[in-house]
Amino acid sequence: MQKLASAIQDMAKKLLEEKKVDLVVGFAGGSLPLRSTPCFIRKPEDAEKLTWDYSCENNLANYLRKREGKVAVVAKGCDVRSIVALINENQVSRDNLYIIGIPCSGMVDRVKADEAVEGKDLLAVEENGGSLILKGKGFSKEVKLDELLHDTCKVCRYGNPVVYDTIIGDTVPDKAEDSFADVAAFESLSPAERRAALAAEFSKCIRCYACRNACPMCYCTECFVDCSSPEWIKKSTDTADNIMFQAGRVFHSAGRCADCGACDRACPMGINLRGMTRKMVKEVKDLFGYETGVGMGEKPALATFTAGDPEPFLVKE
Amino acid sequence: MQRNPYLPLPMKLVKNFTETEDKLIHTFTFQFLSEEDEKSFPYMPGQFAEVCVFGKGEAPFGIASSPTEPGFLKFSVAKVGLVSTALHMMEEGTIVGVRGPLGNYYPLEQLKGKNIVIIGGGFAFTTLRSMITYILKPEHRGDYGKLTVIYGARNPGLLLYKEELEEWNGRSDIDLVCTIDRPVEGWTGRVGFVPTVTKEVAPSSENSVAIICGPPVMIKFTMPELEACGFKPDQIIMSLENRMKCGIGMCGRCNVGNRYVCKDGPVFTKAELNQLPNEY
Amino acid sequence: MIIAKNALPGLLDKLAAEYEVYAPVKQGAYSLYKQICNGAEADFGYVNSKIPPKGILFPQSEKLYSYSVTGEGTSLEECVDTRKKVIFGIRPCDAKSLLLMDNVFNNDKFQDPYYLTRRSNTILVGMACNDPAGTCFCTSMDGGPFDQSGLDLLLTDIGEAYVVEAVSQKGKDLAAALALGAADDSQKAAAAEARESAEVACAVNTVGLKARLDVNFYDPIWEKFHEKCLGCAACTYSCPTCHCFDIVDEAKDCNGCRVRNWDSCMFPLFTLHGSGHNPRTSGKERMRQRIMHKFKYFVDNFNATACVGCGRCIKNCPVNLDVREVLADIRGSEARSDK
Repeated sequence: MQKLASAIQDMAKKLLEEKKVDLVVGFAGGSLPLRSTPCFIRKPEDAEKLTWDYSCENNLANYLRKREGKVAVVAKGCDVRSIVALINENQVSRDNLYIIGIPCSGMVDRVKADEAVEGKDLLAVEENGGSLILKGKGFSKEVKLDELLHDTCKVCRYGNPVVYDTIIGDTVPDKAEDSFADVAAFESLSPAERRAALAAEFSKCIRCYACRNACPMCYCTECFVDCSSPEWIKKSTDTADNIMFQAGRVFHSAGRCADCGACDRACPMGINLRGMTRKMVKEVKDLFGYETGVGMGEKPALATFTAGDPEPFLVKE
Repeated sequence: MQRNPYLPLPMKLVKNFTETEDKLIHTFTFQFLSEEDEKSFPYMPGQFAEVCVFGKGEAPFGIASSPTEPGFLKFSVAKVGLVSTALHMMEEGTIVGVRGPLGNYYPLEQLKGKNIVIIGGGFAFTTLRSMITYILKPEHRGDYGKLTVIYGARNPGLLLYKEELEEWNGRSDIDLVCTIDRPVEGWTGRVGFVPTVTKEVAPSSENSVAIICGPPVMIKFTMPELEACGFKPDQIIMSLENRMKCGIGMCGRCNVGNRYVCKDGPVFTKAELNQLPNEY
Repeated sequence: MIIAKNALPGLLDKLAAEYEVYAPVKQGAYSLYKQICNGAEADFGYVNSKIPPKGILFPQSEKLYSYSVTGEGTSLEECVDTRKKVIFGIRPCDAKSLLLMDNVFNNDKFQDPYYLTRRSNTILVGMACNDPAGTCFCTSMDGGPFDQSGLDLLLTDIGEAYVVEAVSQKGKDLAAALALGAADDSQKAAAAEARESAEVACAVNTVGLKARLDVNFYDPIWEKFHEKCLGCAACTYSCPTCHCFDIVDEAKDCNGCRVRNWDSCMFPLFTLHGSGHNPRTSGKERMRQRIMHKFKYFVDNFNATACVGCGRCIKNCPVNLDVREVLADIRGSEARSDK
């Protein structure tokens, strides 16, 4: 990890010194255990702030829209998929972007770490081979790194960036096709059970919109939830409206969601948002054979059509 | 505890009048339903109220009527959002809610014995109308010196309160200068932007106070003209607008620095505003 | 006085018969204050709740009144909640936050009957913090892990039991009604020791902070804090002193209710004028407002900082924007009063 970090620093420094870019968006060390933080480097001498480890969970594609000048971004596999999707939607110019791709084998889920120590206050984390030692007042617990990874990372097949200008780090091994077992489990429930499962999750929602704002693809100037005429959904926190908000968001990102999990990671209340987003990802994949952000120049699945498109929404006699 | 400040007073819309030629500004006259209600609403020129359209919501508007006009409240409202649009379409006879009076008012006590220069632009003439009507009342007129009013709009059709402007024009106890931005056939009055006209009129700053309301760009360019006439920041009074909800200093959105426009304003002197950040 | 831990569920049951009792309840990896029906639901193995208990007095969504309109007039029905409540196990920082909120909802001109009625009907039973979290900085914000401000009773965990101190008359009355036994000397000594050994490791230097904020509204330093900010409300909704709200109608035709919902200065819509003009155009202005409000405007108006150092905004921020670092940077910034 340390080697990776210094390679990233060197690359950032070089790009800034040679004036190939005006800005490098990457990660710096955070103020909490298991926490890195997005950072913006404009001077070569500041490049040493850049870091890389298993806590770089934010999707930096979110910071690339409406940028002036040339920008380099430190991007793991899912960030790159989002970047490709944004380029395909004309939100980011490929010509002004320098992608420092980082093969990624997964990021740590702090909620899982919290659960592992039963909600006690985590004060420090040490690495021990393939494990992390979670420490706090009066406790120390060793947990396998693999067990702490985000669920998104566990099924991610695009740890290796699909597009890049330079790549730092060793390629990660390919994974088997995603079986969408989580979605299948949800689909197997009865409608009443599904409704109950959704209600249980979304009763926790505080409508802080961290999910929406963390999503690189949620860039509407006016989000439908903020619209007052017509008022699509109530502004109050009501479970049914909370579900409507998320459902609206998920429908709007159909064929655009790269399943990066940024929404899920941003949620302070620990709501399982991927339950919904991945259902849509699976639908789009099943119907159109389309995966977001893996092919440069592709049109989003729902922004194009072919004569062979399935029409499952047509009721056939 | 005092009465619940969130509860509106029911009032009846007795007149929905299309004020401007472009039909974007209507003047609404609301009647108090009882004498008791009216007593519970003692207001002064410069204050505002939250007008609530049941089923749509509330929005704050400056009170255009004067406390010297008993029995009703008047508001001139531009059609911009949910509530104002609903108001524009409202039939006479409908019941609305009015919450207030809110905010502070023009410092009528301190203005006694002084010459008053009122400068208004566009549809930001509402509380200025209240002020002028108040001063022109025979029992108040003697308390104040010379009254000069400069009022501009893009074209004659966009001037508010046309009948009253005409009446004021014929009086000797008010010096009214109406102006439009560009010449129009049939308009015999002055032509020119408010800052230019202010420069021409050159009101004296001696023992005077200027009250100025209008679009930001008008205020920006009129300020130097007033300063050139010798007006000091504490002789210039402004009325601010910011997005508001509660109107009582709690919901936290209308602040400019440490002051709430709703509770500590909307009336501030330029001297006070100079101490605050420019977030309005 | 003393409450044995094994007697606590029974005691909470007893309270629940007379009051709405709110206590920390586990929800996955975190705790929340929730209304409990029986004492067994409460779980006091918490550091602090994910979201502050302010929502018990100032709910995230709250009906102010309902209305129905006819041709003849209107009928309005106020929805003031007068039920008696106990918040059992509130942390000292959160109790202090309510004292700060009192300034807002009972200001120099107006009183908010919804908050104030609940406030006067609520008893605050505090739980001292023997083990403050790594993100706690209450001692830098004029508070402390055993601070009694705003509390009615203060409990100290001594292992098998809680030592109880009455702070206010309300607290004394409640203790008397519950017929709490007296603590013996060794129990009192254990509580005193817990107080001695409670350590808030994190300190935020606030010397000169206000003076700096007084003059640096136009400082370029504000350009940098917001760059990574997502503009969500995770910080403000998890802040025990943030009190901003919106008022909306929820109605069909002319019958319905007026509702207030928490709102956040971090949202662009918060200050957007009907004309389209926005006095706080970007994340920079909004971030500045949040900091200024807490550490300058509130101090100007109420002579107190609107931060109690609970650390929730630090833990809940999706991008690790740490208010402690922001404050440190501001203290180090240069004075700039030119516009």
